[in-house]
Amino acid sequence: MSTTDIQISAEEQILSYCKKNIATQDKKHCFYNSRLGAYELFKRDGLPGVKNENWKYTNILQKLETIPVRSQIHSAPLNVNNFINNFDIMRKLRDTNDTVLVFMDGKMQEQLSLLYEKRNIEISSLKDDVIPEWANKINNKKHSENEDELFNLNTLLMEDGALINVKKNNIRIENVYIVHVGNNNGFYNYRHIINIEDHAQVNIIELKISNKSDIDALYTSSIIWSIGNHCVVNNVKYQAHNQITIGFNQQYADIGSNTEFNSFTISSGSKLLRESRNINCNGSNSNISISGVNLLDGNSHIDTFLSVRHKAPNTISREKYKSIINDNAKGVFQGNIIVDQIAQKTIAKQSIDALILSSHAEHDAKPELEIYADDVQCGHGATTGQISQDSLFYLKSRGIPEDEARRLLIHAFVTDTLDEIKDKKILETFGDVMNNMLNRVSKGNFNV
Amino acid sequence: MFKVSNLTVSVEDKEILKDFSIDVSPGEVHAIMGPNGSGKSTLAHVCAGKEDYTVLNGEVLLNDENLLDLDPDERSTRGLFLAFQYPIEIPGVTTMTFLKSSLEAHYKANCKEVLSTPDFMKLVREKAAELNIDDDMIRRPLNVGFSGGEKKRNEILQMALLDPKICILDETDSGLDIDALKLVAEGVNKLRSESRSFIVITHYQRLLDYIKPDYVHIMYKGKIIETGDSTLALDLEKSGYNNYIK
Repeated sequence: MSTTDIQISAEEQILSYCKKNIATQDKKHCFYNSRLGAYELFKRDGLPGVKNENWKYTNILQKLETIPVRSQIHSAPLNVNNFINNFDIMRKLRDTNDTVLVFMDGKMQEQLSLLYEKRNIEISSLKDDVIPEWANKINNKKHSENEDELFNLNTLLMEDGALINVKKNNIRIENVYIVHVGNNNGFYNYRHIINIEDHAQVNIIELKISNKSDIDALYTSSIIWSIGNHCVVNNVKYQAHNQITIGFNQQYADIGSNTEFNSFTISSGSKLLRESRNINCNGSNSNISISGVNLLDGNSHIDTFLSVRHKAPNTISREKYKSIINDNAKGVFQGNIIVDQIAQKTIAKQSIDALILSSHAEHDAKPELEIYADDVQCGHGATTGQISQDSLFYLKSRGIPEDEARRLLIHAFVTDTLDEIKDKKILETFGDVMNNMLNRVSKGNFNV
Repeated sequence: MFKVSNLTVSVEDKEILKDFSIDVSPGEVHAIMGPNGSGKSTLAHVCAGKEDYTVLNGEVLLNDENLLDLDPDERSTRGLFLAFQYPIEIPGVTTMTFLKSSLEAHYKANCKEVLSTPDFMKLVREKAAELNIDDDMIRRPLNVGFSGGEKKRNEILQMALLDPKICILDETDSGLDIDALKLVAEGVNKLRSESRSFIVITHYQRLLDYIKPDYVHIMYKGKIIETGDSTLALDLEKSGYNNYIK
């Protein structure tokens, strides 16, 4: 980007970038039509503004002044073991034989990935010339009413991503890690597509980490799940970005009948992070848990948008989110549960709680229920509060110093969300990781 | 050893304690009784360092050090223990974690070597067994779902572990049935020693049947208006406060 480009708005820069991008796309590629459609929509709509109800608490252009340009200097670690050992979580969590897919600045790093022949898991890349039929089919369908301008941008610009197919009757739970490192940063876009056939089980663990960099990061990412019947899927995501990263994550999931889907996210840092999660319970007797913890300090802004739609009878969903917000950070949570008329006997519970640690911190919550069936149990609740002075005094009266007392209470606030992680090993590791992050956030004044 | 001198305290411009004084020597048990609103709980809270109170005058001395200059945690590690009338429930912090943090803070503040985890567990289990506190209760979140008796026993367990010099029991008998009261009183009596003193705040003489006080004080309108021995409590039980309130 030249200096003259900086004079124009980021939105115009992105549009210009899109125009150049679509002109270079292969018209024969199976994604071309969807890219072109997305381009036309983005050209028409641009970036979402605060007048859009789903974006009312997040002003993108206030945070995004220009498209960052990627550095040409690459400082990638030399080998896979060094790379993995840099990440505490990976060291503790990974078993030999687990699949590890490593991406750096939106691009898959084959030399850093660990790919083993697995009878029941097929892995390929979105940048391959030939896309598997299942992936093409999933990619080209409409995923949700909530597909928005950022999703269009991602559809148009996605350069790479993992295509993961877990085959039918895969009863041995496999761990698949998708690691993304913001290394030299810049502007990048990627998409993962995951298909889980009937009667299959899998753990998908996503790690998103930012290295220190002088270059800002702007990215869009999406993960599209198609999950069959009688499956058990555990998804855990950990993302710790630095405060020069702007990220737009989108998750779309179609869940079949008699399936259990547990998805847990820990997010921290970021100049602006939008976490959009859209789940359709399409089959009866499915049981899903969408939960997470947002830890914000410095000038972070994390906006979680969650929509769960019950489209079949006898489905259960639990949404439990907790945020800890310190310094000048801002947390946003918009949660929507929709129960279609056909979805009788739905049980849906949503809770959103925020703990504010500073007088400059902010939390905006908007829980919503849209119920069209008449025999359901649905509830939602939202709380925003501070550390209880009575609790603090009680701990201090037992000799526990103020800092330690606050730390205990902050940990206590989020501890129960970890119950949503069903895999014991993942739970233990993420518990440790979260504790470390909590220790930092509870002190505040975090700066990268 | 523990001395409150001329303590005057207000809340929102209303004086609750007025020139209050008490002198407690090592090993003594002082009971403070008094009608509602006389300032008993305020005294306990101010000694322990709760905010929301304005100290206008006076001192709270423990071994000649003015506790009013210290934070609540420092007052605790110096040897003051307040048994709460309503122990606070803290979901997400197990009783064991809380006890460990508390005990470690005390050891560190007093330059003692922190116990290893097995030694700490052994100590907690020993003290807990004496108070009929089982392992399950220690593993549960602090005071969450505890009965009134369990909460108070938990307070006494903390007292036993922290080895304080002065214990202030703020209506420890409230909400307890007879059996729980006996158990709590037995726990307190086991902790009585020549070097440890108690201030027992209560509305009822019943508690003093089990914890025998050396002195009984009547508190009214923020100060002590009468001091006697344990017979004073018996007299109060019979005739009420009217004979003493002028």
